[in-house]
Amino acid sequence: MSLSSLLLPAVLFFALGVIARLIKSDLKFPPDLAKVLSIYLLMAIGLHGGYELAKADMAIAFQSIIWALILGFTLPVVGYLALVATRKVNPMDAAAISAHYGSVSAGTFLTAIAYLDNLSVEYETYPLIMLAVMESPAIVVGLILAAKARQSVAAREGIAKSTPDEKSTEKSNFKEMLRDAFTNGSVVVLIGSMIIGAIADPSGMDKLKPFIDEIFMGVLCLFLFDMGMVAARRIGDFKQVGIVLAAFGVVMPLVGGVVGVYVGASMLDFSVGGSMLVGVLGASASYIAVPPAMRLAVPEANPSFYLTLSLGITFPFNVIVGIPLYHGLAKMMVG
Amino acid sequence: MISLYAEKMLNIICNDTLEARLVCMFKKYGVSGYTIVSARGEGSSGQLSDMSGFNENIVVKAILPESRMQVILESIERKINKGHHLTVYITDVQVITPNKFNQSIG
Repeated sequence: MSLSSLLLPAVLFFALGVIARLIKSDLKFPPDLAKVLSIYLLMAIGLHGGYELAKADMAIAFQSIIWALILGFTLPVVGYLALVATRKVNPMDAAAISAHYGSVSAGTFLTAIAYLDNLSVEYETYPLIMLAVMESPAIVVGLILAAKARQSVAAREGIAKSTPDEKSTEKSNFKEMLRDAFTNGSVVVLIGSMIIGAIADPSGMDKLKPFIDEIFMGVLCLFLFDMGMVAARRIGDFKQVGIVLAAFGVVMPLVGGVVGVYVGASMLDFSVGGSMLVGVLGASASYIAVPPAMRLAVPEANPSFYLTLSLGITFPFNVIVGIPLYHGLAKMMVG
Repeated sequence: MISLYAEKMLNIICNDTLEARLVCMFKKYGVSGYTIVSARGEGSSGQLSDMSGFNENIVVKAILPESRMQVILESIERKINKGHHLTVYITDVQVITPNKFNQSIG
């Protein structure tokens, strides 16, 4: 891993955020800043990607969607089985945590793009569609795994089955969750911006260039600065999650990263840059879309576990160590 | 001298993901209105809010006559039994317009 990958301004600002928190600086960002910045980042990358995708091969785009769905549905199951095998968490916690690892982190993905741009490595735009597609399936898998775990706990403890009234409420709640999973803010901003980018008049898009291109890296630095502080706050909870869970927060992204790079390189025939981005999608864990869904759908799970793992361990790991690692792996696999 | 009338104020501290459900519950049981404010803090299950705008906590407040309180508390208890983290407390308040709290939202 070269030092230059760590000297990316965005990564350095992430580190500054962590340091500011560790030295107990009084630095504070406005409460909703990360939310505002993430909307901008998704909008900018969506417009950019949509514009490029309009010129792309639809057959490859379709294949990318299929592989995104396969990754989104299988990675949480792998994570769930691994977590249950550790016997360190109950099945509800395992379901909620694994849903985070099947979904994706746009922040990690954008940092990976900044990394590739810095090294002037070309990449396909198809992983962007995969980013949008992979936000939601893991939530559905998490809901199903939690429902199964709840049933087996109820059967084991001899808890009476739900009354028809309760069953109908549970059913309508489940439908509501599914709707929420596929209409969450990140998905709407990203897909909406991609469609606008694809159909908008090119001369109009040219006028947007300063907004979507020139200030993008600066905003990403600000976003990662804030996220560094948020992540450092979670590092304090490290003791609570324990060494086994903390190890999961590092091993699971490595597994997802290897699978992702393999899919990008071998199944989709992407370049080094594109394969690395699919690896990043496989490796990253959600901290925007999935936590609220799991809070609602799996209230029995401890939010401290999944937030500490995705924000305090996996996000910093991917930003600092994972991205250069998946790049190296992509270079090996693509040849 | 303005007359004061006794009412109860329901206070709920929870994650903002529950906001829509609590609002739905208030409407179902004919609560006259509610106020929601952002909150942060720490509890037995760790830090409650990330302060990043993504995992926020809220305090929901509603003033209502004591006669309507029981049915709402039963509904809240069902949510707690499902595993949702809600901190609920009731305070005595005095109001100058009691009729306002007998109406429903809308």
